[in-house]
Amino acid sequence: MPASSQLSPAQVRELARSRNLQHVVVLGANGTMGFGSGALFTQAVPRVTFLARSKAKAEEGLAAAIGQGRSPTVASRVECGDYDGDLERAVGEADLVFEALTEDFEIKKEIFDRVEKARRDDGIVATVTSGLSINALCKGRSDSFRKNFLGLHFFNPPNVITGTELIAGDDTDPAVVDFVEAFCRAHLGREMIRTADTPAFAGNRVGFKVLNEAAQLADELGPVLVDRLVGPYTGRALTPLATIDLVGWDIHRAIVDNVYENTNDEAHETNKLPETMAKLIEKGVLGDKTDGGFFKRDGKARLVLDPVSGDYKPEAEIRLPDLGYIDQVSSLYSQARYGEGLQVFLAAEGEYAAIARKVVAGYISYAFHRVGEVTDTINGIDRIMGMGFNWAPPSVLVDTMGSASAVSMIEGAGLPVPELLAEAARSGEPKRFFHHPTINAGRFFVAG
Amino acid sequence: MAAGSEVYVLGGFQTDFARNWTKENKHFSALMRESVLGALEACELAPEEIESAHVGNFAAELYCMQGHLGAFFTEVHPAFSGLPTGRHEAACASGSIALLAASAEIEAGRYDLQAVVGIEQMKTVSASEGGAYLGTAAWYAEEADGIEFPFPKLFGRLGDEYDKRYGLKDEHLAEISRLNYDNAKLNANAQTRTWYMNKEHALCRTDDNPAVGGRIRIADCSQVTDGAVTMFLASRDYAEKYARGMGKKLEDIPRIKGWGHNTARLRFDDKVAESQDDRFVLPHVRSTVTNAMKRAGIADVNGVDGIETHDCFTTSEYMAIDHFGITEPGESWKAVEAGWLEIDGKHPINPSGGLIGAGHPVGATGVRQLLDGYKQVTGTAGDYQVEGAKNFQTLNIGGSGTTSVSFIIGR
Repeated sequence: MPASSQLSPAQVRELARSRNLQHVVVLGANGTMGFGSGALFTQAVPRVTFLARSKAKAEEGLAAAIGQGRSPTVASRVECGDYDGDLERAVGEADLVFEALTEDFEIKKEIFDRVEKARRDDGIVATVTSGLSINALCKGRSDSFRKNFLGLHFFNPPNVITGTELIAGDDTDPAVVDFVEAFCRAHLGREMIRTADTPAFAGNRVGFKVLNEAAQLADELGPVLVDRLVGPYTGRALTPLATIDLVGWDIHRAIVDNVYENTNDEAHETNKLPETMAKLIEKGVLGDKTDGGFFKRDGKARLVLDPVSGDYKPEAEIRLPDLGYIDQVSSLYSQARYGEGLQVFLAAEGEYAAIARKVVAGYISYAFHRVGEVTDTINGIDRIMGMGFNWAPPSVLVDTMGSASAVSMIEGAGLPVPELLAEAARSGEPKRFFHHPTINAGRFFVAG
Repeated sequence: MAAGSEVYVLGGFQTDFARNWTKENKHFSALMRESVLGALEACELAPEEIESAHVGNFAAELYCMQGHLGAFFTEVHPAFSGLPTGRHEAACASGSIALLAASAEIEAGRYDLQAVVGIEQMKTVSASEGGAYLGTAAWYAEEADGIEFPFPKLFGRLGDEYDKRYGLKDEHLAEISRLNYDNAKLNANAQTRTWYMNKEHALCRTDDNPAVGGRIRIADCSQVTDGAVTMFLASRDYAEKYARGMGKKLEDIPRIKGWGHNTARLRFDDKVAESQDDRFVLPHVRSTVTNAMKRAGIADVNGVDGIETHDCFTTSEYMAIDHFGITEPGESWKAVEAGWLEIDGKHPINPSGGLIGAGHPVGATGVRQLLDGYKQVTGTAGDYQVEGAKNFQTLNIGGSGTTSVSFIIGR
């Protein structure tokens, strides 16, 4: 289990200065994570090489990076090239190789074969994979490669979202891990979370479980009601099904399939991709990057998917049940009365409030059950949910409603109560799980 | 300062300056509530202990259609109902004026424990509308009426005045911007911590960094920010009791060792005309800084371990460097080139990121600066800690160098 970072501020600054990153090579620079991360590197690194299958593709990545960085320094610090002509030379000169190819084990393996031959002995190799095993990706490679290989998982878009997972393999040199953490904290403004090399790591493991459960509920309740029930008042700015549309249904499928196939935890079935989504993906429905997903735009109107029939109808035609409790919660939030707002949610009557509570209880229960598996304390999960997903961290919800309320909500939903919470509730003492004086818990409670 | 009239600082709390409270659909009262409750928690104080409250704010009437801000303090907790409260205004120095008023009441022996709240919600209106509101910190009819973004233009002229008297290079201003943004990346409460910036960008002269007033470009500007900061000031008696309760000694609790406060004439032209024969471009700002040092018994800038200054624009920080006495007048560029202003440098300035990097919720800024000073001298500034800091000085400025307030906090 990776220990939480113990680096002191002085150590961070000293380590960040200890080694000069003069040249970063981005592989897969035409992809969203490739150009986004590439733009980020140009802030602090004087030379960044964008590589893709063709130079034209790499240049497309550069154009997108310029759009994201909105700075002429992106262009002045980047050079473009292709794998065939430029990889060996560029990688041979690189202090850091940042791999952002398609999430496909064989494709990554193939490029790492070439990187391994071309890299300098002290060149760091990082992958932005959102869930493939770090140990598997470097298995059988040289000592020097394995010592300098790690997962550096930025979240999309990296210029906005600071939460970043750092995943060491069994053989990664701890000094390399410390340096990368210090560099990212001091020069790229990253919030670094060390996680274990488990499927989907920490953030996506916990986050996509909730997103997928929302997708499962959409079959019966419809997307509008689901996004209202698990909406901003439950501690997130962007609603779950809109999030899946934004991320892309194919990416969603890749993540939940990986978790479903490679784990067997107490909430296994909530990680199973709904059949309805699987069928629509076959038909080319991938969310915002195609013609739409759960939602699509039709001029000024929004159309809503019926996941079972695959048809869309205008949002205006959809009737929702009375959800007056959500307005009450929002009104309390607008005056920063978050605890009172959550108590209204917990006391709300009717089947729909109960469904919403089950999703939120499931999130808390699932997150606390992952302690010791994906991170060493709840702290790491809290930080990646807060800074990577922009969701209220599980501990913030527990602290704000009180651990006794959290336990009774989880019990009420028929879900397993994590021992940490049960213990806190039994003690009767007020306990805080979230200890980050610089992270405002209030920012996660969005009104309306 | 008479014995027994020291003002101790128990700590406080600032909201995350990257937040947009309008987007969160939250009312002005939520901003105050989070900062006050956050400060009570951070300092482990019970609400019943607070005896009085001072609120610093510039223009809530304009931004939020809300006045009578002292009264809002009583909305935060039932125990506050009935407390004496009030609101203070001196443009961007409003927060420091609230601190001065609270300190004076402690020195006078009226109260033992005071809350000071600096607060501004600015993202309620468009940039140009907000720019016009800020113009009311100048002599509006004479210097701002009908001018788009009047303040960048006024501080552009501060740069012009330096250029005329001593010469001024854009690259030194760009370096000041770069440093503030870099420091902000270390501050989890800084507004710009995720923004794209480097020296090359700060120097670029394209549409990615447009001019907004003379030599002032976007990268030279502080930010439009929503934020609130609450701090608690205490008498010696209260601080002794508090220290005991926290298992500390009185010497562990920082105090305000010195303060300076001057107000110059409103119009920028009048200030510059007055200083034609002076070594300093803004002599009243210089007095504020040196008065604080004198009251603290500190000979010069070598007696403080770092500075939180009012970099509303890069030119105001450039001015502050020589006004603090880090260099001779007109030679601020030497400190920039030598790297003295870095967190690990000889004279760290704005380890927090300052107004350019951390953000500038106008009425909160003075309080935020003192809170950052508190964090530095108690070793609790996290990634932007100046190692071993014992004394820190602030400089908070309202208008075009008009109202200046400086504090020295230390143990």
